[in-house]
Amino acid sequence: MILLNKRNGLSDNSLAFILIICACLMPVQQVQAQIIDILLKGGQVIDPKNNINSQMDVAIFDGKIFQVAPDISIKNVKKVIDVSGMYVTPGLIDMHVHAFHGTDPDSYIANGWDALPPDGFTFRAGVTTVVDAGSAGWRNFRLFKEQTIDRSQTRILAFLNIVGTGMFGRFEEQDVTDMNPVMAAYMINRLFPDILVGIKSAHYWGADFTQVDCAVEAGNLANVPVMVDLGEHHPPLSIEELFMKHLRPGDIWTHTYANAPNDREVPVDENGKVKPFIFEAQKRGIIFDVGHGGGAFHWRQAIPSIQQGFIADVISSDLHIGSMNSGMKDMANLLSKFINMGLSVQDVILRATLNPAKAIKRPDLGNLSVGTMADVAVFSLRKGDFGFLDVRGTKLKGTQKLETELTIRAGKIVWDLNGIGAPVWDAKPQ
Amino acid sequence: MHANHFVTKNRIKGIGPNITTSLLLVCFLLFVTAAGQSQEIDILLKGGHVIDPKNNIDSQMDVGIANGKILRVAAEIPVNSAKKVVDVRGMYVTPGLIDIHTHVFVGSNSGFADGFSSVSPDDFTFKAGITTVIDAGTSGWRNFPVFKKQVIDRSQTRVLAFLNIAGSGMTGFPSEEDINDMDSRMTSLVIQQYPDIIVGVKIGHYRGSEWTPFDRALEAGRITNLPLIVECHLPLLPLEEILVRMRPGDIYTHSFCTASDRTCLLDEQGRVRPYILDAQKRGIRFDVGHGGGMFHFNVAIPALKQGFLPDSFGSDLHRFSMNSGMKNMLDIMSKFLNMGMNLKDIIFRATWNSARSVKRDDLGHLSEGTEADVAVLSIRKGSFGFIDTGGNKLEGDRKLEAELTIRAGKIVWDQNGISAQNWLKKSGD
Repeated sequence: MILLNKRNGLSDNSLAFILIICACLMPVQQVQAQIIDILLKGGQVIDPKNNINSQMDVAIFDGKIFQVAPDISIKNVKKVIDVSGMYVTPGLIDMHVHAFHGTDPDSYIANGWDALPPDGFTFRAGVTTVVDAGSAGWRNFRLFKEQTIDRSQTRILAFLNIVGTGMFGRFEEQDVTDMNPVMAAYMINRLFPDILVGIKSAHYWGADFTQVDCAVEAGNLANVPVMVDLGEHHPPLSIEELFMKHLRPGDIWTHTYANAPNDREVPVDENGKVKPFIFEAQKRGIIFDVGHGGGAFHWRQAIPSIQQGFIADVISSDLHIGSMNSGMKDMANLLSKFINMGLSVQDVILRATLNPAKAIKRPDLGNLSVGTMADVAVFSLRKGDFGFLDVRGTKLKGTQKLETELTIRAGKIVWDLNGIGAPVWDAKPQ
Repeated sequence: MHANHFVTKNRIKGIGPNITTSLLLVCFLLFVTAAGQSQEIDILLKGGHVIDPKNNIDSQMDVGIANGKILRVAAEIPVNSAKKVVDVRGMYVTPGLIDIHTHVFVGSNSGFADGFSSVSPDDFTFKAGITTVIDAGTSGWRNFPVFKKQVIDRSQTRVLAFLNIAGSGMTGFPSEEDINDMDSRMTSLVIQQYPDIIVGVKIGHYRGSEWTPFDRALEAGRITNLPLIVECHLPLLPLEEILVRMRPGDIYTHSFCTASDRTCLLDEQGRVRPYILDAQKRGIRFDVGHGGGMFHFNVAIPALKQGFLPDSFGSDLHRFSMNSGMKNMLDIMSKFLNMGMNLKDIIFRATWNSARSVKRDDLGHLSEGTEADVAVLSIRKGSFGFIDTGGNKLEGDRKLEAELTIRAGKIVWDQNGISAQNWLKKSGD
């Protein structure tokens, strides 16, 4: 500051004067109580990373988490929101979506109609970060960024497809000559390290693990995890071999509870038993992702799995046009399914905040640590008679359902279901 | 097929020939009965309270759907005539809702026309009981074919459209100001080319003081004999004169707002302006057009108290309203429910009256033989809040929720799986 002023040609006298003023101002600022923009008052805070599961207040200032503590004073708070009886959690991370929406008539997901601009689905479900699961490859990622990522309020991260053209078409996805680990790694390391969090291998039907191996090679070059949607193989490939020999600890298997055993081996056998190697794989560090979608979540896989203790590490939606109006609906509905299968609220929040943040190696996300960007969700747990559909169109009845009351993204309210953050319309001005 | 199966099984178990004979007889009789009643209904909505304003129905009725059409609406339709029976007791069964004000020409450009500020209709409609949306002039005659190919033909939602008098629709400032690109003849020619889809003309954004754009839009409406929707971002044109120029059946939208670029419905004393009441009496239709900035409780509540009701609940759905106080048209309907309007009046405006606004008598009712667009709604009781575009709240105790939405006879939304079997019961894949 002094150097700058000297360059601007201020005299020594005025410099001294400025210094004195600065010296006077600084202690005053420190003594004055901090002004808080938003104070979420009286909610049950669930912040798995910081081991919080109790009644706390959450204060937000300047787009960041300022304080999490019991009974924060409402003095100097611009907006106090009563969230008593509700859950306050880190903004959810949906680790598996398809957001590369566009108008290319020849494509299905990459710049295509089947992918969705995320903002219409995220905030109303408490989601503040989505991770696109390989809709784009290195050839079209820049278009994805310009067209969707840069224009969305939701934070969008991405797995880069190992196929150069991403999910352009089912046939293009088979092109082994367009699976280039070096280019994929450059894209991640040199160009977009803040957005690209991993590699995706998907929809391959070649007779072996070629695509997975290629993806892992890229993962090694870029030091990022690989997410695998194994595609369809006839006869099905051994997933035990995949988990134990081809993938590394920290790599991700998605569509965990899909049930199409003729196309892809499944975790639960014909007798309803979870195969023993599945537990071994989870112990080895393979991360299991739900990736519900329009065809990849079956009660007959999920319910026995959970009863036998095999719980997916990450709960994610696989949001796209085929899942948005089906049994999936949105992340709040999906988390509710797991609550009605017997998981606690705390446990489902863990699997949609801290766990995905760890999986994509983004420790800055999925928590309410002081100083982090204020991405926050507020849920109520509605009691009643509900039904939840799987992709077969069959139902699990339930008694509890999460509803997203409030979503805050970077300190700004982006969803308020019932106006808990709003004044009454005919209130007298204060 | 089933009969044979049962007989074989019983024989193996060693049941005597007499019993077998009588079993066969029973099976035969059952088969005949079933054939006689042949399951002609695909979906039977059983025991709901049907509100179908066009047909003056407001009572408990069953609704039978077959081949994508309404087959029958009657008390007590037998369940054995249906392949799928959905128990909707305690719920309201209404025609699929019609949202007459949306912006759905979604694309990859910035802005509304073929742009990111529009939204895909299917992302928002079915979960709110809506089966038809009308795009409010996002496209003009030059780019309507792109809109049709890119969105209308690919959507499950029925998408109709007002065509903007501006040739390229909502391309933003300043291109929407170009009077040379407001051509009533070209506009009407394209409208006549797509009579099943285009339902009217729109005038939206114009900052000048000339009446030319307005008159050209009206002219296109006259040529095609279709209504004009006036989305009044026309700051220099006096509202009273706008309404005088409008024809009966033309639509004024953004009715309940206090935006600075237009005259408010209420005068300084909080009274609905007499010329507004006159206009409504004359047949001008008033649409809500909520949007992200165009609905205020401090206009709507006094207006309702004075007996001024909107004719339709157009949402003005787009990227900047979808997560705001607006949310969706069903939420707007809940606002009016909590402001004191009765449910039947609300359903009337969201179905048959909206269909009439766009002269589509085939829509907005459950008459036998019409395409089966149906909404099943429940009224949830509790403590709710509803926000206007000024960020102010109305507290309420009731909220409409879409339980089931059927589009052309197909279930496209089932909130709680009321049409589904328990996961353990259903066999096969």
